[in-house]
Amino acid sequence: MPQLDTSTWLVTIIAMILMLFILIQLKFHKYSYPLSPAPKTFKSTSFPTPWETKWTKIYSPLLLPQQ
Amino acid sequence: MNENLFSSFITPTMMGLPIVILIIMFPTLLFPIPTRLINNRLVSAQQWLAQLILKQMMMMHSPKGRTWALMLISLIMFIGSTNLLGLLPHSFTPTTQLSMNLGMAIPLWAGAVITGFRYKTKASLAHFLPQGTPVPLIPMLVIIETISLFIQPMALAVRLTANITAGHLLMHLIGGAALALISISPTTALITFIILILLTILEFAVALIQAYVFTLLVSLYLHDNT
Repeated sequence: MPQLDTSTWLVTIIAMILMLFILIQLKFHKYSYPLSPAPKTFKSTSFPTPWETKWTKIYSPLLLPQQ
Repeated sequence: MNENLFSSFITPTMMGLPIVILIIMFPTLLFPIPTRLINNRLVSAQQWLAQLILKQMMMMHSPKGRTWALMLISLIMFIGSTNLLGLLPHSFTPTTQLSMNLGMAIPLWAGAVITGFRYKTKASLAHFLPQGTPVPLIPMLVIIETISLFIQPMALAVRLTANITAGHLLMHLIGGAALALISISPTTALITFIILILLTILEFAVALIQAYVFTLLVSLYLHDNT
């Protein structure tokens, strides 16, 4: 049975190790499965300045005492 | 006749150069690397297939076992594509070589077992004694379980080799018989040809199933040990 002829075993095993553990894994390593695009909720990241955290009507420009 | 029958299983060399290396590496060319977000049909189809297989196989593993995902998907794709390519006429199938299958089975099995010993020593040693065995049977059962553990890689390799080799041999024999029968009795030749077609369909199934079984068993050994 030619499969039991051990003279070729070294070449076959080395080629297979190269193929299986390196080459083909390099191919499948590049497969990416991104999540489907979904809209992000829009939330402002700016923080209100201290004098704006508590808005009072008297500071509206039109309500300031007219000069 | 024996010489002729087994000649397709001799490792191919051309004038002393081992072209078996090229034959083993050929399936890499059939899996192009995806370079875009939306790829062409071939790459998309392969990505979809890989995701289907991965989801099915990795569901039963713990996070530690899932680190083997790349290895297992490479294994099943490699064996599947190699077996299917071997169904082409006059081609050489690397998975008929016992050397290659041993080279695949032993490191993978050893990796799974050694991982089990390193991280869950007590649990993996406990596999040697099934629950609820009567006390007098314990020594014999430990020996039996040890033998059954060490036979796993051999069984993996020989199973793949024998299945693919036997299928190819049968196709050779029945094809040769059909050809020889044409001049003697065309009806019998037709029947034999139909048998050959059925056998080829079986071989397609066997090619894929063997890849699946190999990978499934490696995955099972991994599951036991993570």
